[in-house]
Amino acid sequence: MSVPSSMRQPMALRLSSAGFLAFWCVIAAFPIFWIAVMSVKDPVDAFAANPFEVIFGPETVASGRGLSIVSIVVGIAVLWAAIHLALNTLPRLIKQYSPPHLLVVGWIIGVLVFALGFLIVFFGLLPPVLSAVNTVLGPFGKPILGMTTEHYRAVWVDNAFYENFINSLIITAGVVTVSLTVGTLAGYGLARSGSNLAFWILIIALVFRALPHSVLVAGYLPPFINSAEILRPILGDAAPTLYGQPWAVIAVLVSINQPFTIWMLRSFFQNIPTELDEAARVDGCTHFQAFRWVIMPVMWPGVITTGLFSFLLAYNDYLVCSLLLDAQNQTMVPAIAGYFNRETTTTDQVEAVAAAVSITAPLFLLVMIFQRQIVSGLTAGAVKG
Amino acid sequence: MAEIQLKNVSKRWGSFVGVDNFDMTIADREFLVLLGPSGCGKTTTMRMIAGLEEATDGDIVIGGRVVNDLDPKDRDIAMVFQSYGLYPNMNVYENIRFPLKVRKVDPATHDERVMRAADMVELREFLHRKPAELSGGQRQRVALARAIVREPNVFLMDEPLSNLDAKLRVSTRAQIKNLQHELKVTTIYVTHDQIEAMTLADRVVVMKRGVIQQVGTPTEIYDRPANTFVAGFIGSPAMNLMEGTLSGGTFSGDHVSISGLSGPDGPVTLGFRAEDAAVAETGPQAEITAPVYTMELLGDATMITVKAGGALVSVKASKDYRIEIDEPVGLNIPAEICHLFNQKTGARIDV
Repeated sequence: MSVPSSMRQPMALRLSSAGFLAFWCVIAAFPIFWIAVMSVKDPVDAFAANPFEVIFGPETVASGRGLSIVSIVVGIAVLWAAIHLALNTLPRLIKQYSPPHLLVVGWIIGVLVFALGFLIVFFGLLPPVLSAVNTVLGPFGKPILGMTTEHYRAVWVDNAFYENFINSLIITAGVVTVSLTVGTLAGYGLARSGSNLAFWILIIALVFRALPHSVLVAGYLPPFINSAEILRPILGDAAPTLYGQPWAVIAVLVSINQPFTIWMLRSFFQNIPTELDEAARVDGCTHFQAFRWVIMPVMWPGVITTGLFSFLLAYNDYLVCSLLLDAQNQTMVPAIAGYFNRETTTTDQVEAVAAAVSITAPLFLLVMIFQRQIVSGLTAGAVKG
Repeated sequence: MAEIQLKNVSKRWGSFVGVDNFDMTIADREFLVLLGPSGCGKTTTMRMIAGLEEATDGDIVIGGRVVNDLDPKDRDIAMVFQSYGLYPNMNVYENIRFPLKVRKVDPATHDERVMRAADMVELREFLHRKPAELSGGQRQRVALARAIVREPNVFLMDEPLSNLDAKLRVSTRAQIKNLQHELKVTTIYVTHDQIEAMTLADRVVVMKRGVIQQVGTPTEIYDRPANTFVAGFIGSPAMNLMEGTLSGGTFSGDHVSISGLSGPDGPVTLGFRAEDAAVAETGPQAEITAPVYTMELLGDATMITVKAGGALVSVKASKDYRIEIDEPVGLNIPAEICHLFNQKTGARIDV
């Protein structure tokens, strides 16, 4: 589509806005790029004063852990092919082979099979094949770029980082489920209510959201530690100590996050014309049926966007998790902070960096899966305008 | 088959009165149009019948059953909204089928009924499209099909044509009229467009600020407006209304003198329709003699407007009549086309 000349931006403006965007991308992407580079290097290289030594890793290469040009090219080709498969072939196959009402199950199975296949090919098959090829090729087979996965292995296998990962998973799943369930119901109710009370509830919610998190944590900490004694008259000897339990953290994080989800979902609901409710009511729905069959299908983008924000809050939370969980139940973010705080060797530091890189992977995955849904405009055609 | 009775129905929000003491009976199979300017309470009245708005006072009776406390779904009505109110996630077929599905009508009959409704509004080739892929007129037809698919007792239509362009409005209007005739269902239709009201209605209710001004057939409303509001609202152009005094059967005002009337002496408002009067020679035989204010060519006629009796007065002349602005013109207003109204209350003075 061509832009009419009256709407075209002047060259100087285009250059400066493009320049600013490029600058911003570099600033934003640099930390991720840099820790990703550091995490695959020998500690000597990772903490070298010369940035080129960090990137190319001469020490890592010298100790026999490097990639040749051929390996890099083949690796990139395999990655590209995998992405191509995932974006084009995989959805087609899933659509073809799974019955329509089991599409979700089909997707889960398909993605799992694909992920497993990728791991086997990329980490199981490729390294021995390439090392055999490299010995034959001579100069092209000579390693030039330092690359080692030993820190990742150390983090996930030796340090049992997967336990933290599972804890994070439990807490984020709990927070997202609870805050979305309560948020959609409350948001719908508040969006459709014209009463003054609804307005004041929203203002109070905003005030609670504005409180520093430490206020809530400080308030909850003593009763959680003593919860067994407090609850004994009600629950008897089965009364649990809430401190250190994942669901105590879920409760606190939900209470922090709920006002925000309610506000956000309410504004999404307000964009849905009330005519849809009314049409559904006249067509024969009860209040709840109208909500379930007419409003919710139109609300998915809002629910997914809000769910993503709740996920990020729970996933990235440090303060609540580090204060309310004991060392065995720690989630990923406080665990990584723990690695850095220990008086440790440089090897441990690089392992902490590798752990930090690991926790960004699920975020990328999530945004990639849901990027299509995070668009508004599903109400198009419902009403005039 | 349902007769609708509205017994002294009122709607108030705090001290604001939306509908005041609405009292009438709508016969079975009648096509009733509620007509009035924006904010006159016509839509509120319809929403009270639908159950989307609660009546503050009075009873609403549909088919012999008081429905005040019933949910919209239990009133056996169907409604067409001004801005369609289609379900954007469903295609046309599913949209039309939705009322059958939620009301648990026997699934075996769904397909046949949806097809019949779609055929009635000529939507068969669009059944697989989403509402977003339809034009405004097609969307409104989907809404119509969704209303008729269940064959309810009452149709409620809330300005269904006001979002459509002029040409589509005419054809959809004809379609609605034909549908109602075919389905024989009591229909209440809200509009602010008096042409729609005249063409569609068995009876018209003219409303203003929540109060009924006149109830009658289109002809009655046009020929014998009950007050100056109805006279000034119905017709295109609306009725000419002049201020003046009546003494001894002669109405006199600025540039105007009409004799042969009968009515009480004193200040009155006199009205007549543009198409009833005619252009005449200037002189004593013309009831109005005044300079031309403007001349408009309408195609089928020429509209001459002058200032008389404190208002702009329009008269239709033949289509090849030509005259310059500010030229004097005489207008012939025979006494039998005139309507007299009380100048204070606006009410019609019947002799």
